[in-house]
Amino acid sequence: MSAVPGLKEDCEELLGAFQRADTVRFERFAELWRERRFHSVFHGRVRALERNKLTKKTLDFAQQYFLPPYSFQIRVGALYLLYGLYNAQLCRPKQKIRIALKDWPEIQKFQLDLLDSQHYDATYIFRKLRLARAFHFTAMPKLLTYRHKKKTGEHHFREEFKDPSNRVNTLISNDVLEELMNIHYHYHKMKCAISADKSQPDKSLSLIKDDFVANLKDITLEHHEWLQNRMKLFQDAKETDKIENKKKEEALLASEGSERASALARIKYRSYSAAIEVSKSRRHRQVQLESSESGPSCGKSPGRSKKPSRRPQPARRRGEMQVAKETVTQHIGMPIITEEDTDE
Amino acid sequence: QESHATGKRPDNPADLIEEGELLLTLNIFYPVIFQKHKDHKPYQTVLVLGSQKLTELRDSISCVSDLQIGGEFSSQPDQAPEHISKDLYKSAFFYFEGIFYNDKRYPECRDLSRTIIEWSESHDRGYENFQSVKMEDYVFNDLSLKIGFPYLYCHQGNCEHIVIITDIRLIHHDDCLDRSLYPLLVKKHWLCTRKCFVCKMYTARWVTNRDSLAPEDPCFFCDVCFRMLHYDAEGNKLGEFLAYPYVDPGIFN
Repeated sequence: MSAVPGLKEDCEELLGAFQRADTVRFERFAELWRERRFHSVFHGRVRALERNKLTKKTLDFAQQYFLPPYSFQIRVGALYLLYGLYNAQLCRPKQKIRIALKDWPEIQKFQLDLLDSQHYDATYIFRKLRLARAFHFTAMPKLLTYRHKKKTGEHHFREEFKDPSNRVNTLISNDVLEELMNIHYHYHKMKCAISADKSQPDKSLSLIKDDFVANLKDITLEHHEWLQNRMKLFQDAKETDKIENKKKEEALLASEGSERASALARIKYRSYSAAIEVSKSRRHRQVQLESSESGPSCGKSPGRSKKPSRRPQPARRRGEMQVAKETVTQHIGMPIITEEDTDE
Repeated sequence: QESHATGKRPDNPADLIEEGELLLTLNIFYPVIFQKHKDHKPYQTVLVLGSQKLTELRDSISCVSDLQIGGEFSSQPDQAPEHISKDLYKSAFFYFEGIFYNDKRYPECRDLSRTIIEWSESHDRGYENFQSVKMEDYVFNDLSLKIGFPYLYCHQGNCEHIVIITDIRLIHHDDCLDRSLYPLLVKKHWLCTRKCFVCKMYTARWVTNRDSLAPEDPCFFCDVCFRMLHYDAEGNKLGEFLAYPYVDPGIFN
């Protein structure tokens, strides 16, 4: 399908403004929508056939922002955008939003996240769309057309919208740390139970570093902070040194996101600052809110105040992303982790 | 692509489509008759339900070759349309993913795919073993299909249509929920009909070859002009010619 002229720019402008607004509240999005009179995107075509085509293409285009790898805030913005577009459309019966089978688990996960972080307005909007039967559940995301002469252009990801990921953090995610913490706590309890002194395990049973989970957490955080600083450095260098160092500049195109990404982290922090009661079946994993500084002495799960897996990370250049300029792989050297002394 | 049947509900409640039914969108391409169609093949778009049999789709495909009447009728023009090809040659098959689904509902039906299977098995041609099964035993839900991949529908022995599935999705509240209307034709390519050479008004129903009375070969006539030119008041044949009943591809417009 040939692209609708100007639609990409308009959507990205709106989503960009929403991102800068630093919030996920629907009221804010609605203000931005009304400011731009966004409902008028559909006013271009009068005849029924063209109107249908235009609406289909518009919804199809907006839908992709709703899925990964876009950042959390952009995805919420995309949800609001879809809601607005679905209701503002002029076609009767209404054109639907296509969701492929493979994307559905992601969306369900997203909805659960919204619920957990108490973004009830976003959840409500999604529920309204479901109740309005706004979705077509399809096998493939894009409807096939046979216009082989009109090539659909490659979709260039807007770097700022992407949620950059860090390989270390995807491996050592919040869930992994929680599990480790929990297992460690049980292990500790087990050792105490079979020892003579019930309050602490026998010396002969200490085979691992007691606080290794906390250390792991600290190391990951350290790595993350190091990356942030590195990115900041590059960014400053970029601002002062635009013309000279071409290579650095190109590598930094991807790092623009870090500023906005830290703003995103702040939003999330605000919403996660309420602890959630876990269900009775998970009694052993009560959530407790902790500050970042607390040590390993309390063997409970670290709480929801931090989510390293969603921490903003500088973007890694991926194979499929094609920016207009030549692809330059980033060479950020890895930090050297010193061996720790055993403290037993 | 909104069709007339959108949102329809059946009169008979037994015909109501249930939730969870799959809806497939198929493009059935016309065989290339005109050279101008070679690059942009005209096609019709059909919606079919997952629980429908392949034979239901086969019956719904309208192809001009089914209406052809074989034979030369210059001596007996009134006896022309007796048997259309659809009634005479009932065999047909679908080819999906290595399996030939042959229509075997009538005793006259033959396995048209046998030729292909024998050819493929005669030497090592690099194809996997093909299977041949009965079309009437299968519904679309039984098939494994690729979206966008060209499959084949063959009837009349050599009339071949490419079939491509463009979409599979769950049935929706706003769709036509009357089962009796499926397979549902939603889009059709409009073909120009050939008009009578004489009056230029009516669609051609006859074509003549080696016609001493006609300015060109072949020449197309509507029924009235054909009889007026080639037969006298008593119905005697005038001049030398061969006449065949003609079915215009645009007849389904």
